[in-house]
Amino acid sequence: MSFFAPFCLPFMIGAAVMFVLLAWKWGSWLWRLPEADKRLVAKGIFTRATPEAVWETVRESLLHRRIFRIDPLLGYMHMSLAFGWFLLISVGWIETVAYLGLRYVPLQGHVFFKYFATGLPHKPAFDFVMDLLLLLVLSGVALAWFKRLRSRALGMRRTTRHVAGDRVALSALWFIFPARLAAESITCALYGGGSFLTGGLGAWLAAHVGVMPLMTAETVAWWFYSSCLGIFFVALPFSRYMHIFTEIPLIFLRRYRLRSGEKQSSYDHFQVEACSRCGICIDPCQLQSVLKIDTVQSVYFLRDRRYGMLRREVADNCLLCGRCAEKCPVGIDLNTLRVNSRDALRNVPDERRYDYFQGLDRSSGEGRVGYFAGCMTLLTPRTMQSMERIFEAAGERVWWADREGGVCCGRPLKLAGETDSARRMMRYNTELFRKHGITTLVTSCPICLRVFREDYALEGIEVLHHSEYILRLIREGRLPLGRTTERLAYHDPCELGRGSGIYEAPRAVIEAVGELVEPAHTREEALCCGSSLANTAIDDGQQVALARNVAEELDATGAGAIVTACPLCKKALGRGTATEVRDLSEVVAARIRPAAGRATK
Amino acid sequence: MAIEFGYTISKPRAIDIDRNNLRKSDEILREMPELQTCIGCGSCTAVCTAGNLTSFNFRRVHTLVRRGEYRGAYEEMNKCMLCGKCRLVCPRGINTRGVVLLLKRKLGDF
Ligand code: SF4
Ligand code: SF4
Ligand code: SF4
Ligand code: SF4
Repeated sequence: MSFFAPFCLPFMIGAAVMFVLLAWKWGSWLWRLPEADKRLVAKGIFTRATPEAVWETVRESLLHRRIFRIDPLLGYMHMSLAFGWFLLISVGWIETVAYLGLRYVPLQGHVFFKYFATGLPHKPAFDFVMDLLLLLVLSGVALAWFKRLRSRALGMRRTTRHVAGDRVALSALWFIFPARLAAESITCALYGGGSFLTGGLGAWLAAHVGVMPLMTAETVAWWFYSSCLGIFFVALPFSRYMHIFTEIPLIFLRRYRLRSGEKQSSYDHFQVEACSRCGICIDPCQLQSVLKIDTVQSVYFLRDRRYGMLRREVADNCLLCGRCAEKCPVGIDLNTLRVNSRDALRNVPDERRYDYFQGLDRSSGEGRVGYFAGCMTLLTPRTMQSMERIFEAAGERVWWADREGGVCCGRPLKLAGETDSARRMMRYNTELFRKHGITTLVTSCPICLRVFREDYALEGIEVLHHSEYILRLIREGRLPLGRTTERLAYHDPCELGRGSGIYEAPRAVIEAVGELVEPAHTREEALCCGSSLANTAIDDGQQVALARNVAEELDATGAGAIVTACPLCKKALGRGTATEVRDLSEVVAARIRPAAGRATK
Repeated sequence: MAIEFGYTISKPRAIDIDRNNLRKSDEILREMPELQTCIGCGSCTAVCTAGNLTSFNFRRVHTLVRRGEYRGAYEEMNKCMLCGKCRLVCPRGINTRGVVLLLKRKLGDF
C-alpha cells in the first residue's frame, strides 16, 4: 500500500517546517542557558525530578488539572482539545498497527489513515473509539467558538486579543476538526465504514448525494483538511500555540530547579513562550477590574515581550501583587519576568551614585536582636512606638538599625528595574548587620522582609517579620496580653502573603487580642492595597480608587478596625475608608498587660 | 589648554545648560503634567531617606529642572533610593517616584 496522495503535501511540508523551527528554538534556548543552569540540568536529569516531571506533564499539558480547578467548563475545553487530540493521534497509531501489523508507515499514513485504509476490512471497535474521540475534540472546538462569543459563561470576564500569527493558527485550528469530520464522512459515504459519527454522516451523504459529486468533494475535503493542518503547523511556532511544545521542557527545567532572576536569561524564553494566552490572568488583575486598564496584564506583557514590542508603559504598569501568578495554570513566574524586563529596559548602573553610604552608621542601641524599621515604618511612627513597647515588655535588648534614618532595603529600587544599584544598598545593609553582630533581624515591613529573605546573604541571622516575632513572644509567654471581643478585619499584604507565604502568624496574633474577621477575598486571593511600590505608572487618584475598593470589602465585615501588617498597606487603606486602620503591632501594644514580675520588682 | 578642533566629544551639556532652554523641561511636564501642581511645600524633602543622609533636596532638584536648570540634576537624582516616602506625604498626590524615574530618563545624557 502506498501512503501518498498529492493532498498530503501541505501537511507534510507544514509538519517538516514546524519540526525544524521547534528544534532550532529549543536548541538555541538550551544552548544559550547560563553555565550554572546547564549544571543544574545535568545534576537533575538522573534524579527523581525526571519521572516527576513526566507525571506533571501528563497532568498539566494533557489534562489541564489546574485550569479545571479554576473553572470546570474551561478546563474541559482545554482538556478536550489537548488530551482529545493526543488520544486521536495515539489511538490512530495503534489503529494503524492493528490493521497493518508492526511495519513502517510514514507520518501522513497515520494522519490520513482513513483515506488510505478504504480497501481494508473494517474494525468497528476502532471506528467507534476514533469517532468518540473526534466528538470529544469537536465539543472542545464548539466550546472555543462559544467562548469567543460569550466568555462569561466559562467563568472569564475577558478574553485575550490576538496577534496576527495567532489569528492564522487559531482559524486553522478551528477548521481542522470540522474538516476532518467532513473528509472522513465523505470517504465513509463512498467506501463505507466509520461509526456513529463519520459512518452516520457518511450514510446520510450517500443517500442524498450522487457518487460523482461525492468523489470531487472527497478530494476537496482531504485537501482542505491537510491544508488546515499544514497552515496550523507552520503558524504554530509563531503563535500562542508554541505553548504546547514549550510547556513540556519548562516543566522539566523547573523540576531541575532552574529559575528566572533579576537579569534576563535564556531560561526566560521557556517561561515566556509557555504562556498559552489563555487570559486567566486578566480577571484577577485589579488594574483591570477597578481601573479598567486592559493593556498591561501579564498575558499582554508576555506577548509584547515575546514579540519584542514591549513598551515601558506596559512593563511599569503592574503592582506585582502576584494575584495573576497565583492563578496562572502554567505556573509562570510572572513577577520575576516583569522585574527583569524592567531591568533590561532601564538599568543604567551609576557606580558613584551611592558613594555617600561610605562610613555611614546611624544605628543605636545594642543587642542580638536587630530591628529594621524600613522607610515606610519610619513614616508610620505609631508602628515604631508600638514595637518599642513590645520589645520593652518582652525585656528584649534591641539594636535599632535605622531609627535615626538609614539606607533603604533596596527592594523598591529593584522592583523599578535598577537591580545593580539595589545591590549596593543590599551590600551596605548586610555589612551593617554583620558589623553589629545580630543573630535575629526583625522588620515590620514585608517589603524589607522579602528582600532580606530572597536577595540578602544573611546566613546566621534569622530574619523575622514582626508578626512572626510577636507570635513567638506570645507562645514563649514573654508577652502577657489581655484579650477583648473587638472585631478586627485582617488585610493580607501582598508581599507578606503571596510574597512570603506568611498567612498564619498575623492571624494567630490577632486572635490573641481580639476576634478575627476576614474580607471576601483573603489569603492567596487577597486584594492589593493599590499603593504597591512596584507600580510607578498609576496616579494618585487611581491608587485611591484601588484602596476604596479593597476597603469596601474590609468594611463589609462590620469590624471595628482594620488590621494589617505592612506600613504601606496601612497608609494606603487609610485613604480608602473612614474606619481606623492599625498595624498589627499597635493592636498588640495596646493590649499588653503590665507584667506581674515587673510590677512587683 | 584644550585644543579647539571645531567639534567636541563631550556629552551635549554645552548646548543644554542654557538657562532658557526649556525643551527638556517641557518634555518632562508633558509626560508628567501633575508636576505642575506642585506647591513647593517641601514635604517630599522633609521625609526623604536620601535627603536625611546627604544634602540631596528633591524639591529643589525638580523645581530647578522645571525652570530649565539641568546641570547636576541627574547626579543628584541618582542619590534617591526610590523608597517612596515622598509619594506618601505629597499633599498634591504627585507620583514623585514616577518623577524621579522620568527626570533620570530625560536627563541621563546630560
Ligand atoms: S500568563 Fe498564565 S494565566 Fe496569563 S495568559 Fe499566560 S498562561 Fe494564561
Ligand atoms: S501582578 Fe497584579 S497588577 Fe500585575 S498584572 Fe498581575 S494581577 Fe495585575
Ligand atoms: S523616593 Fe527618593 S526622593 Fe522620595 S523620599 Fe525616597 S529617597 Fe527621597
Ligand atoms: S511634597 Fe509634593 S507638592 Fe510638596 S514640594 Fe514635594 S512634590 Fe511639591
